[in-house]
Amino acid sequence: MAATKKGGKSSAQQIGLSEETLLGLYTSLLKTRLLDERFRRLFRQGRFAGTYFSAVGQEATTVGPTYGLRIEDIIAPSHREIGASVTKGVPLVMIAAQVYARSMSLDKGKSHPCHWGYKPLGVITPASTVAGQTIVGTGCAMGFKIQKKDNVVLAFFGEGSTSRGGWHEALNFAGIHKLPIVYICQNNLWAESVTATLQAGIEHFSDRARAYGFPGITIDGNDVVLVHKTAGEAIARARAGEGPTLIECMTYRWYGHSEIDPADYRAQEELDKWKKKDPVPTAEKLLMELGVLTTQKREALADEINQEIDEAIDACEKGKYSEPEEAYNDVYSEQFPVRREEV
Amino acid sequence: MKKVTYIEAITQALDEEMARDERVFLIGEDIAVYGGVFKATKGLLDKYGAERVIDSPISEVYIAGGSVGAALVGLRPVPEIQFADFITPSMDMIIQQMAKMRYRTGGQWTCPVTMRVCCGADIAGGLYHSQTNEQWFVSQPGLIVLMPSTPYDAKGLLKSAIRGDDPVIYFEHKRLYRWIKEEIPEDDFTVPIGKAAIRKEGTDLTLVTYGLMYHRSLEAVNSLEEEGISVELIDMRTLLPWDRETIFESVKKTSKVVLVQETSKTCGVMAEVGAAIAEEMFDYLDAPVTRVCGLDVPAVPFAPPMEHFFLPNAEKITRAVKKVLEY
Ligand SMILES: Cc1ncc(C[n+]2csc(CCOP(=O)(O)OP(=O)(O)O)c2C)c(N)n1
Ligand SMILES: [Mg+2]
Repeated sequence: MAATKKGGKSSAQQIGLSEETLLGLYTSLLKTRLLDERFRRLFRQGRFAGTYFSAVGQEATTVGPTYGLRIEDIIAPSHREIGASVTKGVPLVMIAAQVYARSMSLDKGKSHPCHWGYKPLGVITPASTVAGQTIVGTGCAMGFKIQKKDNVVLAFFGEGSTSRGGWHEALNFAGIHKLPIVYICQNNLWAESVTATLQAGIEHFSDRARAYGFPGITIDGNDVVLVHKTAGEAIARARAGEGPTLIECMTYRWYGHSEIDPADYRAQEELDKWKKKDPVPTAEKLLMELGVLTTQKREALADEINQEIDEAIDACEKGKYSEPEEAYNDVYSEQFPVRREEV
Repeated sequence: MKKVTYIEAITQALDEEMARDERVFLIGEDIAVYGGVFKATKGLLDKYGAERVIDSPISEVYIAGGSVGAALVGLRPVPEIQFADFITPSMDMIIQQMAKMRYRTGGQWTCPVTMRVCCGADIAGGLYHSQTNEQWFVSQPGLIVLMPSTPYDAKGLLKSAIRGDDPVIYFEHKRLYRWIKEEIPEDDFTVPIGKAAIRKEGTDLTLVTYGLMYHRSLEAVNSLEEEGISVELIDMRTLLPWDRETIFESVKKTSKVVLVQETSKTCGVMAEVGAAIAEEMFDYLDAPVTRVCGLDVPAVPFAPPMEHFFLPNAEKITRAVKKVLEY
């Protein structure tokens, strides 16, 4: 569909989103992509310790639902939700500081790369135990209900995490009490080296919702507009007290489980097929057709983002680790200081 | 002053804290309509409503993990685990979430959850209704672990736990629920976390214990007193972080130590207390640090003679004290 700039505007309305929202979604997508690729490069250059869990290819699944949330709404992430932090508005320098385990990171360097958390914007620093924040996030939603607040929780997890018992306990409880939570399953077909077909005997992970008495839906997770709109409806229902929704977003991770995984267990054709469904150019094409974006505007946006990333990384490169004795802090409230060993 | 049972003291603490602070709510199995299988939450549903007294499905992972989440958004959850034996499904949430929340977030998020755990043997409960299981939690920094032995402490410690900003595993002993009664003040009071109680001063030997075993030890100490043996009896009350000062001061005075716990000997609370005394008080000791514990078997066996064979009692404790004194 070729659209003139003028005609594009009306088309934007036709798909039910404002130009501002479309551009906002695209900006978050691009920012997430560029930052994620930068972190991968930096890890391979040995600029930070540990490993790195890239979400390249899956950005629309986190950007779409998060865009437009309120500050008070909670993000309960797992390990592949860089897009949720970026979209919620966490400053890139704070995202990078956590990857670099710097003292300026709000966790002071105690957490792990990719376990992003930022309390000022309601992002819970995750534990590594998968599905952990699905359970904790459900508790946040229970808390909102008890407090009679109309905030919502977005809980993110991979399809593999839905095999855990606690995941089921949480969704079961959310169904009973119609909690204000939206469950986002990022079905990227793999959990480390194990295919989705070895996680469950059902075709769609969204079918699991039926057992708990709320809607489940499977959608193209690489179409940011679709993800945003589907999640938006679920969020509105949750806010209105109508209960949870499970949204399964079909997607694919381009790289290994983490940067130390060569991902040689999967077929090249599968990867090639999914690369053709790259969420970033897909959104770009749509926005250009709608006249919301031009090549020039895109270049300017990318430059601006890259500069922001440069500054964030520069600050982290110059930043310091916490003193090792920081290890003694944040165990208990001040009332109970930890005993210091004298060896 | 009014005489109350241990379980009445717990109910009072819950009731008063719920009245004082609307952020406090309860969740657990059979706690609302039924008032709890031991009736600790009796009457609270009528008083505070279904939103603050929640009958949960049989979901120990969620009871623990959901409480963590509610705490993150500003509430003060007091979940109940019906039997300490069934706390195992909650371990993931307790160890990975509750205990580490403050640490892994650099203090951004805290986790003021008070988990009440109904525990303990000597009730003919068999393998799966007799465990105490505090030993698993005292090896996890970030948690506070309590086990009161009297109605006064049961109430005062529970109030401190609910008002504090740290996650607490609060073990309440089933055998004590209706057996132990005492007069407690009607005015509001708390008992500080982290402080042991010297129940009886003595000069010949230090006996350290907690929970039901405090009462078994008291029986032994009273009869030893009649024989002219003076034992200093310490009730730990807080098992993590435990009161090293009070115990070490007593060891300096008596130079002899007996440690008594209900659960199996290996890697129990007294393994740590004993090791710390050996490590830091070696110069003061005149006899081996000696433990009287439950047997090193997988669980408390059911048949009453076997259950009593498993558990420490006044007789076993008396024998251990005499052996150490004769060393
Ligand atoms: C309870 C638990 N078991 C195992 C692991 C190790 N692990 C980390 S991520 C992962 C795969 C998760 O797959 P999925 O939920 O599909 O998320 P994805 O990595 O595909 O985004 C595994 C097995 C873990 N972190 N937690
Ligand atoms: Mg997966």
